[in-house]
Amino acid sequence: MTSEEIVAKCQSSLGGDLVQAEVNLGDAVIYVSPEALPKAAEWLKNDPDLRFDYLSQITGVDYLEQDREPRFEAVYELHSIDHGHSIRIRVGLDEENPTVPTVTTLWKGADFPERELFDMFGFQVTGHPNLKRLLMPEDWEGHPLLKDYPLTIEEISFSHNPDHKSELIKTKSNQE
Amino acid sequence: MSVTEQGLLERDKDTMTLNMGPQHPSTHGVFRMILEMDGEIVRSSEPDIGFLHTGIEKTAEVKRYVHCIPMTDRLDYLSPPQNNLAFCLTVEKLLGLDEMPARADYLRVIMCELGRIGSHLVWLGTHALDIGAMTVFLYAWRERELVLDLNEMISGVRMMTSYIRIGGVAQDATPQWIQGVREFVDIFPAKIDEYESLLTNNPIWMDRTRGIGTLAREDAINWSMSGPILRASGVKLDWRKQRPYSRYDDFTFDIPTQEHGDIYDRYLVRIEEMRQSREIIKQAINQLPDGPYKIQDNKVSLPERDTLHTSMEALIHHFKLVSDGVKVPPGETYVPTEGPRGEVGFYIVSDGSNTPYRMKLRAPSFMAIPGMCHLMTDSFIADVVAIIGSVDIVMGEVDR
Repeated sequence: MTSEEIVAKCQSSLGGDLVQAEVNLGDAVIYVSPEALPKAAEWLKNDPDLRFDYLSQITGVDYLEQDREPRFEAVYELHSIDHGHSIRIRVGLDEENPTVPTVTTLWKGADFPERELFDMFGFQVTGHPNLKRLLMPEDWEGHPLLKDYPLTIEEISFSHNPDHKSELIKTKSNQE
Repeated sequence: MSVTEQGLLERDKDTMTLNMGPQHPSTHGVFRMILEMDGEIVRSSEPDIGFLHTGIEKTAEVKRYVHCIPMTDRLDYLSPPQNNLAFCLTVEKLLGLDEMPARADYLRVIMCELGRIGSHLVWLGTHALDIGAMTVFLYAWRERELVLDLNEMISGVRMMTSYIRIGGVAQDATPQWIQGVREFVDIFPAKIDEYESLLTNNPIWMDRTRGIGTLAREDAINWSMSGPILRASGVKLDWRKQRPYSRYDDFTFDIPTQEHGDIYDRYLVRIEEMRQSREIIKQAINQLPDGPYKIQDNKVSLPERDTLHTSMEALIHHFKLVSDGVKVPPGETYVPTEGPRGEVGFYIVSDGSNTPYRMKLRAPSFMAIPGMCHLMTDSFIADVVAIIGSVDIVMGEVDR
């Protein structure tokens, strides 16, 4: 199916669950709410015409600097091995409580990417079997890929040059 | 029941937790696993990654698009051209540049396929070394050296080439390099036969690899495996054929697949892939078109060096590109490409400025790790290193 056909089929079948659907630079893109994601994802996977059986990747985006509503987005790339077409699902997430249901029940490969969503963005993935930090240490504070997480120098544990250290700490506190 | 039997039974119920890595040589980098052992059988395995995390995705948000290219080299450091290509294709799609000059595409294809061969040679050498066949390692490294020499001839760097740029490639190919590629293409098939004579029908190799780490077709798809692992399980998915980029449709080549999905099948698939890559390189170098090696739009690619002294406009373009960089229209997109380990693609969000708003790498090794740990369940501890080797993970792109 072409991207246009996929979008048209989603529009007719998903109905109220669909926030928006479009063809963006040749790719089929649908927007759904987090509540509607499990149902929509299951339909996309099992519908005989679509058969999106392969999860390519999941990622998150923080639209803080673009002043968008909602602030966060989880993005799912799906592909169909049999039909050879692809779709992107974009799920807008609330700033106060970014929660998204898991899709590990449909695609087991979602395990690591969903943990990464939690690790890097702080999204709560409900129903995930093992939701904990993935790349950062377990006692790490903050979520590095958020736009309000500062990209600063690392605090040094010791220095033989006292001036150097106090200067570093001063720059850091200024930036905060 | 004797006391000994009683003791054995009780001991059976207990499992032992075994730490493997991150400095274990067979984990191919800094990869740690916590294995729950029942005697010699692995009952469950918990992966622990992040030891090589350098925050490349975060750093990219403050770097200009051109500056991101050297960082992409360091993701999958065994085949840097593939990462460059995936990144550049995504940026070019956002820029609306659908077609590159033919020579640029051919040079890109040759570099990517050389990278694939180099990467598969590292895999072959280390995988065989893990299982105990040391000789293969030395032979594989010998040919990889030729690939690195070719990299150096065309880009000046052996490993982190940064050769593929937005709008084309960094430099034109020299006649010496073309001659070097021709020589490599001529000698390489005999070398693959040599590796095969050491392994393919070797009874020890077959004992260690056949029927071990078997992944069924449905499981391979469900666990988001890609590349040679998927193809060894019988799924004929190759993005070079599925959605041809960089004029891959100009070349005739096969996608090798196998049916059982065990370690031996993955070995056969990768060996055949090296042959097919050599076929592609041979066709590309023989049909290498003349013409520009990058697009002539000076808003995207640098003007020729010698025009800077004569053309005011070229000088301004050069200054603007170097000091300000290329501005990418707002939007977001994802372009899948076929790397040596599977699907490599960047998801880039642009806000119209000269830095990516968000850059995300879809790393095949990262996606393969949960499935790899699934394969280890109920296998022998001795097979764990064989399974890791057959999945061919690169921690640079796992931890990013």
